[in-house]
Amino acid sequence: MVTLSDLKISEVKLGEEQTGKWGMVIDQDICTGCQACVAACAMENNITFVGEEDSGYGRSMHWIRIERFWEGEYPEVKMTANQPMLCQQCGHATCEPVCPAFATVHSQAEQLNLQVYNRCVGTRYCANNCPYQVRSFNWRDYQRPEPLPNQFNPDVTVRRMGVMEKCTFCIQRIHKAQDKAKSEGREVADGEFTTACAQACPANAITFGRVDDPESMVSQLAKRSHGVKHLEELGTLPNVTYFKGG
Amino acid sequence: MIKSIFDWLKQPLGLIAVGITVLTLFSIAAYGIYTTQQAPEQPIQFPHQTHVAFGIQCLYCHPGASKGPAAGLPSQAKCWACHNQIAKTETSALLAPLKEAVQSGTPIQWVPVAQVPDFVQFNHRAHIAAGKNCEDCHGDMSKVTIAQNPQVFNMGWCLNCHVESAGEDHEKLVKLSDCGTCHY
Repeated sequence: MVTLSDLKISEVKLGEEQTGKWGMVIDQDICTGCQACVAACAMENNITFVGEEDSGYGRSMHWIRIERFWEGEYPEVKMTANQPMLCQQCGHATCEPVCPAFATVHSQAEQLNLQVYNRCVGTRYCANNCPYQVRSFNWRDYQRPEPLPNQFNPDVTVRRMGVMEKCTFCIQRIHKAQDKAKSEGREVADGEFTTACAQACPANAITFGRVDDPESMVSQLAKRSHGVKHLEELGTLPNVTYFKGG
Repeated sequence: MIKSIFDWLKQPLGLIAVGITVLTLFSIAAYGIYTTQQAPEQPIQFPHQTHVAFGIQCLYCHPGASKGPAAGLPSQAKCWACHNQIAKTETSALLAPLKEAVQSGTPIQWVPVAQVPDFVQFNHRAHIAAGKNCEDCHGDMSKVTIAQNPQVFNMGWCLNCHVESAGEDHEKLVKLSDCGTCHY
C-alpha cells in the first residue's frame, strides 16, 4: 500500500517542466474596469468588508482587484488598460516555501496554491513574499450586519481573525463540477463551469479553464502571440495570461 | 505574605482545602468533557432503533446523502406521511411534539449530531458513491435512540480511511490526501 510518506516533495516538478492544470486568460483590452469581478468574487467567496478605517490602513480584502496605471506627464496623462490582478496560482509559488505552518501548500491534484485556513497561524510571511501582492489578511473578525450573513456561500469557509486568504480559482466550483461530472460518469467539459469573476464579467474579458488541455478555450486563447505572464522572469510559473495592445 | 499562605496550606486543614479544590476542578473538567460526548437534546426523543427495526432505509429520511453534500434532516411532513396512518401517533406523549408541529406548521428544530467544523467541506454523495455505507461513519443505528457519534470526526480518522481506500492507486491517493479536497 502507498502511504502518505511516499508522496515525496522531491516528486514535485520544479522549474520549466511543470505544467498547470487550471488557468486563466485576461484580456485587458476589453476590460472596462467595472469591478463586477471584484463584487462577484466577494459574494462567492465570503470576503468581508473591512470598512473605511481599516481600508485606510491598507487592510482591505480582495481576492481580485483592478489595478490602474497612468502614462505620461501632466497634462498629457493617459490611463493604460485596466489590469485585473488576482492570485496567479503559480506553479512554483514564492508564498509556499516560507510558510512555517505548511498552511499554504501546492495542491498536487488540482495544481493550485491552497490556503488551509485551519492550519494558518497568521505569520503573514506568505503575503510579504508574494510578488503579486494578492494575499489578504484578516486583521479582525469583521462584523457583518444582518441580513448580510444570509448571503454566505455555504461551500466556502468563513475565515476568522488572524488567517490569511487568497484567490482559490473558485475551487468549490471546480469540486462541484467534478462531483457532478463523476456522478454522471463523464469528464468535466470545457466551459461547463467558470469562476465567479469570469461569470460576472460583462465584457467576457476573463476566460477560465484547463491549460493542460490543448483544445480548451483558455489554451487556444493563450496561443495568441501578445500574451504576457506577469513577473514571469521571477520563475514563479504563473497560470494567468494577460493580453494588452493586441 | 506569600510565605504565610504557604505555611497555612502546609497544615492539615490547608492540605484538605487544596485536595478539595483539586478534586472540584478535576470533576468540573471531567463533567465538561463528558457533556461534549453526549448526544444533544432533541425536540423529539427520536428512536432510531424502532425505525430501523421496521426496515426503513436511511436514505428514506436522509435522501440528500446519495445526491449531494448534506444528508438532510426530515421535515415534519415526511414523518407525518407515515405517522398519520399510525394509531399510536394520537395517544403517544413522545409523539405530541410531532402532532403539534404538523398542526401549527412550525418546523421541527432537529439538532444535528454528526457535524464537521466550518473549515471542512464534506460531501456525502462522493462517500456513498465510493461504496461507503452509512454505518461505517455513523455507527449502527439499530442500537441507538437519538443518533450518537461512534467516534470523534477528526482529520486523522478521515485521512486513515482515505489512504486505505486509495490502496495502490497513486493518482487516487494524491486526490484523497490533497488538502484542497476538503479544506477551502
